[in-house]
Amino acid sequence: MMALVMFLAVIAIMLAGFPVAFTLAGTALLFALGGTAAGVFDPAFLGTMPNRLFGIMGNETLVAVPLFVFMGITLERARIAEDLLDTLSLLFGKQRGGLAIAVTLVGMLLAASTGIVGATVVTMGLLSLPTMLKRGYDPAVATGIISASGTLGQIIPPSIILVLLGDVLGSAYQQAQLGQGIFNPKTVSVGDLFIGALIPGLLLVALYIGWLLILAWLRPASMPPGRLEDSPPADLGSRVLRALLPPLLLIVAVLGSIITGFATPTEAAAVGAAGALTLAAIRGQLNRSRLTEIVRGTTRISSMVFLILIGASLFSLVFRGYGGDDVVRDLLTGLPGGVIGAVLVVMLVMFLLGFVLDFIEITFVVVPIVGPVLLAMGLDPVWLGIMIAINLQTSFLTPPFGFALFYLRGVAPPEVSTLAMYRGVIPFVIIQLLTLLLLAVWPAMVTWLPGVVYG
Amino acid sequence: MERLLTQLERVNLFIGRSVAWLTLLMVLVTFAIVVLRRLDLGWIWLQESVTFMHAAVFMLGAAYTLAKEEHVRVDVFYRGASLRRRALIDAMGALLFILPVTTFLCWQSLDYVSAAWEIREGSRDAGGLAYPAVPLVKSLIPLTAVLLGIQGIVMFLRNVMLLMRTRS
Repeated sequence: MMALVMFLAVIAIMLAGFPVAFTLAGTALLFALGGTAAGVFDPAFLGTMPNRLFGIMGNETLVAVPLFVFMGITLERARIAEDLLDTLSLLFGKQRGGLAIAVTLVGMLLAASTGIVGATVVTMGLLSLPTMLKRGYDPAVATGIISASGTLGQIIPPSIILVLLGDVLGSAYQQAQLGQGIFNPKTVSVGDLFIGALIPGLLLVALYIGWLLILAWLRPASMPPGRLEDSPPADLGSRVLRALLPPLLLIVAVLGSIITGFATPTEAAAVGAAGALTLAAIRGQLNRSRLTEIVRGTTRISSMVFLILIGASLFSLVFRGYGGDDVVRDLLTGLPGGVIGAVLVVMLVMFLLGFVLDFIEITFVVVPIVGPVLLAMGLDPVWLGIMIAINLQTSFLTPPFGFALFYLRGVAPPEVSTLAMYRGVIPFVIIQLLTLLLLAVWPAMVTWLPGVVYG
Repeated sequence: MERLLTQLERVNLFIGRSVAWLTLLMVLVTFAIVVLRRLDLGWIWLQESVTFMHAAVFMLGAAYTLAKEEHVRVDVFYRGASLRRRALIDAMGALLFILPVTTFLCWQSLDYVSAAWEIREGSRDAGGLAYPAVPLVKSLIPLTAVLLGIQGIVMFLRNVMLLMRTRS
């Protein structure tokens, strides 16, 4: 009971706005100290904290996080996204809705790299919203596709979100099997999650583009084509090659080396980061001060991520000390409808939490609590991971609380009404829900590819 | 007073900006590991060194990140709050969360760390980094707690001073 009180308390306190990592750790510590004083909490639980912390410091899987962040920041600072968007819109610009399709593709290729919802949506918004509005796009359509493709990066590998989820689900899966008396447990890796995310991610992209094409046909005025005098420059072909080929090669190299087993995700991330540095250098975008920005930015983002992990680790320690794990297990296994009921409830809770918490917090706080229970009920860990990822992406898009909408609102000009943004994003929320339904009915869409690759 | 706080913060900025360069080294070393493996060369200590560099970056960068205001907040309400209200939240958070947590971590980890030094703890893996790598890395825990605690005090005092200044 106390565990659930603490859970609700920490969420309420987080809403005050103090940094999440310290709120998690601080609230948990205060609950532990109070409980010790009242004689309802065993302080021996706290004694394991240094060793848990050392475990986080020695976690080799998570070394991939700073390396992927390094790659993402380097690509961003080298203005790769701008170039890509410019060239792709020249390529598709004359078609109705061509610019919107270009935005979707850029989101797919590059949003992947940093994995922080706010950052990608803001970047995409700053890059493409002014152009789309100038072309006479309906603001609802423009903001809808920007929010949707800006959050796409959480699903499309190599996203750092999938790295974090992979690590947390990996230990949840072990715990679930040990609990069932399986002492030679199967494992799930970050690579599994990357590969499992490919088909659902591409499906989402295809559905987004499909919707844009339908809209262009139904309401042509909402997405005017480029003006005739903007005829493509003579060297369009080579420009497309120059802008598109390098980042495409980089992403193919990173994913390819993971899929073929040539490198672990961590090593692939280093190859990607080295590739991004080379790319930036070739384009003349690399100098001492830019490199300084890259390493400092990488340090701040990884410190931010790992401090949340440390805070969440202390939180879950105290949560367990109060018997929270048992409460959650009883709650979830007692639901009507068995596994389906449990998954539905967990998904709904995560969807609602997504209105106030970012992906990282939910991954570190909620998944370790519910993951072992759900996996013990026989769910496939890769499928569960992808469902969680798409579910949270949907949550970030859903008006009126979705994160992505807040961030985009911040960079959108005042003449774009908030209501128009809500209207524009709803079709994409429906696409997301449809995808979730498809994956629930045919889990093989997630599990088939990892099975083929890893046998 | 403000000068003293700036000096304290400067220590954390210096440490954070210095360890940041380890991220570049991590990229280069890991890249080298991939290449060397093609030549059938590989050393466990080299891999361990990347993991430990990573630990040093996010631990020693934590106070720097706090000084730079980049620890993520749930800012649904915070964003729209007045300057005074935000200062109040930050002062309370520093006092009630950061200072107790860093004190706890420092105090809890001292035995843990000194035990590692006493037994001259080596790597778990054969061929891993030699003594004193592991105790050194473990020592990052109390060190990080101290640096974060210092930054927490800076954060607390700055916001209290702001609250007193703006009281009208």
